[in-house]
This record gives sequence, C-alpha cells and structure tokens, in this order.
Amino acid sequence: MRLKISDIGMRFGKLTALRGVHSGAEGGKIIAVLGPNASGKTTLLRIMAGLLSPTDGKVELDGSQVDKMTPHDRASKISWVPRIAEVSGSFTIRRVVELGRYSLGPSSHRVDDALAKLELLDRSESLWHTASAGMRQRSAFARALAQRTPGGLFVLDEPSSALDLHHLKSMGALLRQCANEGDIVVAALHDISFAMEIADAVVVLKEGQVVLDGQTNAVLTPSSLGGIYGVDLTWAVDDGGNRHLVRA
Amino acid sequence: MKPRTIIMFSFLSLLLVACALLRVLITRQVDGSIALMYPDQKYLLYRVVPLIAAIIVGSGLGVSGMGLQVLLRNPLASPWILGLSSGAGFGVMVSMFLEHTYATPVIGGQSGGAIVGALLSLSLVYLLSRRRGGIDPMTMVLVGVVISVLFGAGIMILQHSVPMGLRGSFTTWLMGSLPEVEAWWKLGVFGAVTLFGIVLVSFWGPTLDAACLSDDEATSVGVNLPSIRVRLFIVSSILAAIGVMLAGPIAFVGLIAPHGARLLFGGSHRSLVVATAITGALLLVCADDIRQLIDIGSGRLPIGIVTSIIGGLVFLGLLLRNRGRI
Repeated sequence: MRLKISDIGMRFGKLTALRGVHSGAEGGKIIAVLGPNASGKTTLLRIMAGLLSPTDGKVELDGSQVDKMTPHDRASKISWVPRIAEVSGSFTIRRVVELGRYSLGPSSHRVDDALAKLELLDRSESLWHTASAGMRQRSAFARALAQRTPGGLFVLDEPSSALDLHHLKSMGALLRQCANEGDIVVAALHDISFAMEIADAVVVLKEGQVVLDGQTNAVLTPSSLGGIYGVDLTWAVDDGGNRHLVRA
Repeated sequence: MKPRTIIMFSFLSLLLVACALLRVLITRQVDGSIALMYPDQKYLLYRVVPLIAAIIVGSGLGVSGMGLQVLLRNPLASPWILGLSSGAGFGVMVSMFLEHTYATPVIGGQSGGAIVGALLSLSLVYLLSRRRGGIDPMTMVLVGVVISVLFGAGIMILQHSVPMGLRGSFTTWLMGSLPEVEAWWKLGVFGAVTLFGIVLVSFWGPTLDAACLSDDEATSVGVNLPSIRVRLFIVSSILAAIGVMLAGPIAFVGLIAPHGARLLFGGSHRSLVVATAITGALLLVCADDIRQLIDIGSGRLPIGIVTSIIGGLVFLGLLLRNRGRI
C-alpha cells in the first residue's frame, strides 16, 4: 500500500486552507499530523480519506485517486475516525459499531472483536447518546476497526482528545497493531508526547503549508516545534530515560 | 427478528384492526346517543371510505415524517417543515379564487390546486437547498420555513380578497378532514403508491441507519449521501402530498408516529419504517374513532383538530417520560 499526496491545495471561498501540500507514506507506518489550530490538519485528513475533493492536486492510494473511488471501494480501503462522533436517532453502541460493516457485509465476529478491543463489550447494549464523550470516541474507533481492512489506510482526526491515560495507551497499542498488519495510519494529534510515542514520521502544518516532514526523532526538536507553535520548548527525560518535549 | 419485536408488531396490528372495527361500528343515533352496531348497507361506504383514507394518510404521513427526520437530522422534522401545508393551502386558495372571482373552472378543483401548490413548494425547497450537487439539511430547514412563510402570506392576501363565504370553506379545508366520498380508483392509486413508498423506504433501512452518522462517517462507511437524500426527499414528499390531497393538512401524525414507533421498536430503520406506518395509521384511525364520540354542538370536529390535541398531549407525555431518549 502506498499513499501519495501531490500538490494539494484547498480553498473555501476566499479562505485558503491548504497550499502545495506534498507527502507520501508506505504501509506499516504511523504518521502524526501536527500543527497549531486552523493549520489545515482536518482538511488534509478529510482529503486523504476521500471525504473532500481538493481544489488542486490529488491523493492517490496505490495509484487510485481517493476522491474518485466508488463508495464501496473507499469503504473497503479507507477507515475514518472523526474528532467528534455524531449519531442522530436512537441506536445502541453495538449498532453504531455494526454500521462500520455497512457496505462490506455484516460480521458479528469483527464487531465483537472491535468492541472487546475498545473495552465496550459490557456497554454495547447501552444507548449511544447516553455514553460519555470518551466512550463515544471509543465507539467511533471501534466502528472504524470493524470496518478496517488490514493493509488499508486508517485516518484518525484527533482520536485521543477525550480519552483517559489508560485508553490513550490502549489506542497507541492498537494503532501500532494496525500498522504492523500493513496499514498506513495517519492521525492528527495535539498531544506531542503521544505523537512522539507512537509515530514513525510526522508532518507538521502551519497556515496550510507543510513546514516539517520526516522521521519523528529527526524532525521534532525544541527549536523546530517551538518556532511553529510560538512557545519555548525543551527536552525533559522521564525515569525510563524517554525524552519528552515540554514547555521551558 | 427478535421475539419482542414480533410481539410489538402483533400488538400494534391487532390494535389497528380493533380501532378500524370500531370506526365501522360506532353509530351516533338520532337522539345523540352512541351505540355500537353494524350500519345499513347504504351508510357502510361512508364509514369504510374514511377508514381506508385514514390508513393511507396516517401510514404515509408517518413514514414521510420519519424519512424527513433522517434526511434533515432533525427529530422535530415533519412534512410541514418543507412548506408543504402552506403550498397546498395556497393552491387550494388560488383554485377557489379563480373559480369564484373569474368563474374559471380549475382542472381537478381544490384537489388539483392542492397538488400543484404542494409540488410547487417542494420543488422550490429542493432547488434552493441544493449545494454541490446534493441537499444540505440545514439549508433545507431554513428554506422550508421561508417558503412556508411566503405561501402563508399569499394565502392571507387571497383570503383577504375573497368573499366571506369562501373564507369559511377554506378555513374548514385548512383544519383537515377525511373524505366520506371518494372515487375508488383514487383510493386504489393513492393506496398502491403509499404502500410502494413504505416498502421502498423499508428496503433502504440499513442505509437510513448509516445515514444517521455524521456526513463524514456515513460517507466513510460507504453511504452515497447525495443519492439517499434525494431519494428520501422524493418519496417523503410524495407520501405527504398524497396525505394533503386526500385529507388536507393533518398535523402531528408525521411527527408523533416515528417517535412513538422509535420508543417501542428502537432506532433500526428496517423494522422502524413498518412500525411507523402502522403507528401512523393507528393514530389517524383512533383519532377518527374519538371524533365520532365528540359533539360540542357544532357537529363532529374536523380530524385535524383531534390529531392536534391528541398528538400534542401524547408527544408531551412521551417527552416528559423519556427525556433524552427521543
């Protein structure tokens, strides 16, 4: 599986959200997309997932342009986790997860497996709209896991914003498992420590342009990120000897 | 199908049959007392025709409301939010105005006016809500409200222009009433189209479930949102338009029936569509039964008033009992 992003530009009326974005990735990698608010992360991810057609350029997955794929093709190759999951109507958490199989055919085994991985099995018959924000985020992740075809593209827009530390760690492990099975995992993140922990590579956006792109350890430094976010950063070392970027 | 669902379907169906039988048997005698008796052959048709009309209109309005609630992602959506009622009312008013003022017979009379008015308002709402080749739900709600207000203004202008006598008959039409005399071919055609619409929407059940996700999520699992939205709009509009043509504007059925069915059957649309159709029919037949029992001195109440009162109270009760579930 190969993802190729060529000269992507996106305008909403007079607002330019993305300009000349180039990047690419191979299967088996986790790529974190970082950047300040309104830098174009969600727009880029939606274009990658084929949910939005760019004004300029194209995104290709193994040579196929993602926004030209049929709905079934796209569903079988690309899974999407939104920042905020929304469901109108009266559905149980299990039914919401089952919807991940909408165009790929029902699979109770895949649904049970996804619910178990996200620790939702015992709450699966609860109504979705009574669930907490964290549980809704895990439900959306479980839905995407139930849909996901190994070796595809897994796109997540700030999937960890409502998760506690335990579930954050589980999510990191699950994303690594997906990458190990051949997926290209692309996640927009605000938690730089989490990005450093899980990502093989990072793409950093600012004002709609790629300002950093490369291996995580090589690209994420106090000086490079500090300049982008406009804050002073420094390294801190934890008891295990791991380095973290923290505010100076 | 789960045993609970089968039991609920059986219960609702039996209730509908019981209410339908009551509609045929309830007899108001000359002294004003109420009795249950099989009517004379010559009166039977005057009971069976409105009964059939109630089933067609109730089931169609219920499924139409449910489709629009999915389409617009709005639990308070109903056929009237698209300006259908005021559009049809405007059409009726125009046909009355032309017939009376210029002695110009209008093809199809008031029904023809209702059809043209309803189609005109729906077409305007559809065309003005299109965005990037699809329907934008939020724009559609706003356009529906605006079209409704504009047609409402048109109705008031015409009402102001016609003689007092006509204003009365127009007001009666606006209250909604089931026909006691109607051509069989018309009932047959409307019934067949309504049944076809209900089966079609039921067939789309899994797609409607997935369309309840956010736009991005629904698209990512493989739903062709522009396509299902256009299909839902067309079928919901036709079902609601049939209701208006047969009975005028009947309030609340399109809003109450989907919510009542949802509370009994859950959110999965494959069974919910059929349950909503039965609930809608039940609601209207039941309202017609109640209508036969009430006489406040000015004859039986128009059914639209009964559905408004019952529907409003039932809806309030459901809301209070199930806060957060609807």
